[in-house]
Amino acid sequence: MSNHTINRSLLAKLADINWLLPVLILLIGMIGVATIYSATDGSWNLGAKQHFVRLLVGMLLMVLIAIIDIRIWYAMAYPGFIVALILLLGVEFLGVSVNGAQRWLDLGFVRIQPSELMKLAAVLALARFYHDLPYWRVSKPIGVFGALIIVFIPVALILRQPDLGTSIMLAATGIALIFLAGINWRVILSSLILATIAIPLFFSYGLKEYQRARILTFLDPERDPTGASYHIIQSKIALGSGGMSGKGFMEGTQASLNYVPENRTDFIFTVIGEEFGLIGGLSTMALYVLIIGVCFWLAGEIKQMFSRLLIMGLAITFALYVLINLAMVMGLAPVVGVPLPLISYGGTVMMTVLAGFGIILSAHLHRETELPRGSGLLL
Amino acid sequence: MIKKSDDIANMISRRSALIGIAGLSTFSILAARLYYLQVTRAEDYKVLSDKNRFNFNTVLPERGQILDRFGIALATNKQDFRLVLVPERVNNIDLALERINRILPLSKPKQKRIKNDIRKQAKFIPVLIDEHIDWPIFSKLNINLPTLPGAIPIEGKGRHYPHEGVFAHVLGYVGKPSPSALQQDNDTLLRQPAFRMGKTGIEQSLDKNLRGRAGRKKVEVNAIGRTVREWDDDKIPAIAGRDVWLTLDSELQTYTASLFGEESGGAAVIDVATGELRTLLSMPTFDGNLFVLGLTNEQFKKLDTDPRRPQFNKVIGGGYPPASTFKMPVMLAALEHKIVTPKDQIFCSGKIHLGNRDFHCWKRKGHGLMNMHSALQHSCDVYFYEIIQRLGMDKVKPFAEKLGLGQTYKLGLGGQAKGVIPDPQWKLDRIGNSWRTGDSLNAAIGQGFVLSTPLQLAVMAARIANGENAVSPFIVVDDETPTLEPLDINPEHLLFVQEAMYAVCEVPGGTAYKPGGLGIPGVEMAGKTGTGQVRGISANERLTGVLKNEDLPWKLRDHSIFVGYAPYDNPRFAACVLVEHGGSGAKLAADICRKVLGRALERDGMTGTVEPNMVGDN
Repeated sequence: MSNHTINRSLLAKLADINWLLPVLILLIGMIGVATIYSATDGSWNLGAKQHFVRLLVGMLLMVLIAIIDIRIWYAMAYPGFIVALILLLGVEFLGVSVNGAQRWLDLGFVRIQPSELMKLAAVLALARFYHDLPYWRVSKPIGVFGALIIVFIPVALILRQPDLGTSIMLAATGIALIFLAGINWRVILSSLILATIAIPLFFSYGLKEYQRARILTFLDPERDPTGASYHIIQSKIALGSGGMSGKGFMEGTQASLNYVPENRTDFIFTVIGEEFGLIGGLSTMALYVLIIGVCFWLAGEIKQMFSRLLIMGLAITFALYVLINLAMVMGLAPVVGVPLPLISYGGTVMMTVLAGFGIILSAHLHRETELPRGSGLLL
Repeated sequence: MIKKSDDIANMISRRSALIGIAGLSTFSILAARLYYLQVTRAEDYKVLSDKNRFNFNTVLPERGQILDRFGIALATNKQDFRLVLVPERVNNIDLALERINRILPLSKPKQKRIKNDIRKQAKFIPVLIDEHIDWPIFSKLNINLPTLPGAIPIEGKGRHYPHEGVFAHVLGYVGKPSPSALQQDNDTLLRQPAFRMGKTGIEQSLDKNLRGRAGRKKVEVNAIGRTVREWDDDKIPAIAGRDVWLTLDSELQTYTASLFGEESGGAAVIDVATGELRTLLSMPTFDGNLFVLGLTNEQFKKLDTDPRRPQFNKVIGGGYPPASTFKMPVMLAALEHKIVTPKDQIFCSGKIHLGNRDFHCWKRKGHGLMNMHSALQHSCDVYFYEIIQRLGMDKVKPFAEKLGLGQTYKLGLGGQAKGVIPDPQWKLDRIGNSWRTGDSLNAAIGQGFVLSTPLQLAVMAARIANGENAVSPFIVVDDETPTLEPLDINPEHLLFVQEAMYAVCEVPGGTAYKPGGLGIPGVEMAGKTGTGQVRGISANERLTGVLKNEDLPWKLRDHSIFVGYAPYDNPRFAACVLVEHGGSGAKLAADICRKVLGRALERDGMTGTVEPNMVGDN
């Protein structure tokens, strides 16, 4: 372990950051600014300006996080998880309702969405859990149930808010990490069998009426063309009318005439698809794939379990945002309220995602730093 | 079995690759889906997108005008000033209304209605604050617009009837389509909230001509229906309704109305040669504009409880005893059936005795010896009591009908009364008992069961004056000229009647004789008075002295009736004036009719030797 990589100067650290990732992020973020500008009929003040400011502030935060020593993140994994859990419980009892779902916690000075915080905290906790766990215990009951507790207690709490999208993302990220940590195929197979039994039960008893309606609508979009399936039909129309090369910047009619609801936020991809067509849509998707690919590549350069799983987990979370959102917009998944990260308008998700990238960059920047193993709960 | 850290790293790499492949596959599926939506099905969605985007809004056509024979507008479209408020541009509705209230006073119920509307509709839809705003207030609102956020002054078109209601009964008025009209008529126009259709009169009978055809404009709307912009393509302009020309002379009709003053009744002036109506007036009138603007309860009550019944179109819908004006058909029937010769004389003692009843002449002392000519000139009732007994009412009926009584005409106006020309069969059917000689006696002097409208009486005068053709009245200038039926009455007999009617007006002793006559030197007229009794006079009252009309309550006074035509030697116009409860026909109705006929001739250019502008109203 070469010493110079551990005790670098601030400037040296900054120089060592993988700058490819921030450049790609900035690019996608700017696509977001332009699209919001167009979706709000060419207005800076209806979100575009704020999005731009948030992007810059968030990226500054990302760089700050990136240069924080990975040992601090390692040490904060469990306490952070517990704080996030407490906040989630806080939402359960003291939360503020927005649009029929209780997701926000009003702390007086700031309103936060603990489920977003949990996306980071759960990945950190799980990465540390597997880092500390001897490999041979991964498929043993302590390994399996320890991981399941870290994943599914927050999932259950978030589902109660109710926030189906975040729950799915968190569960899927957790399962992916458990898979990456090396759980053996026998456990995977038996879980799959268990899941096929559990899912129908979950559908009947675990979901709220409107969530069930959304899933049913997704399965049969013509069921209710003005109600829940209106989103899907209108967004398909917006995309479809864009054609190969689109109607041109600021020329989208579906989006600018507000046919597609929430086109600044969850359905912003329809604006891109309508105005820039298939070419614009595919290019945007390619940018996302590139970012995720870079993250995977960064993870591949690391030997340590914590950092590697951390990067993978955060990258998978990011990928799930993108995949679920696109599938939803294209009518391939139910409308679950997952934004398109870095492009959709919205501060909390932007901060979560950029903080996540900060941690990824930190993990990569400090890949040579030796992490203790199995040390105490807090440090 | 503890694996080496390298093995673990390789395992993670393998599994990472697996996840990566899964992710890439998902992205590929999404890319394929995007291709499917944007390329394969692009056309379908483009169509759907346009359907979303464009709305076709109905454009209201301008309603056709109704014009008199000189092109003077009787029903037109007037600029209507309205104020609307867009709630979404107002922070504080109460404050905004208070500010408007300072310029345009809004009653409490109105404010309540406005707030109600604001609550019910989407916030971008303008709410009507007030319509029919006066110009001074409207201009004040415009000046103060900067202090009235959200308020939009609008200039629209509303139906307007000038001439203070003089044409109200002919024109009718417009209103919102009734539910039954909506059911029968599929025209999209009727479904437009601002559309008004004809409810009565010409407005109703020629509504299809007047209303025009709806146009459409293409507007781009957003998801909540707000219009974003208008498009010029695919635009269909509205086709304005056709103007309707009437045969009426608005100045003559206005003049006639002024002669009625506060009196109630009807008047018709008809072109003797063609049947064109120059005047068709029912009094009192009402202001059709009130119906367009919406009547207040108070206004409606006033119209509805007025004993003179302003809403009733008396001139075509009112059945009145024609009284002595009915003596002309009786005369013609008597001549045709050779009951009497014109020279035969009958003695009038003031009454005749029939069964256990006396039938009185209007002149209590009696007329003495009367021949047919003098009987009409003096309107002797006894003479006609005598000849009807020899003639029978069934013989009179065909002549009454030939002269235009007891029938309706193709006027294109609703509310015409047919009137009654009774005969024994009619009485059996309608009243249920047999005809008595007394019924004939009453009918002979146009009382009893006989009923006719002022228009019918004017037509009768016109046909007598014309002599050859049975002219039919019409009011709408149409492409096709009405065909004239022959009158089919012996011209000699007609001439005899005409001479008698001449004597009524122009020979001293005639019931309507007035020195100076029409007031146009060299122009003479012919006519007949009628005094329609609306009450029975008991034998007792006869003994103690028949009450004078002035001493009777208005409702029981006689109707004053006059029919006539002029000029006598070359008839141009015929007219009937009926003043409800106006007393003797020789007075009020004859006076009005003379003036009206005189004015009609002046306006027609047939003024004899005097220049039109030098002739006064006398």
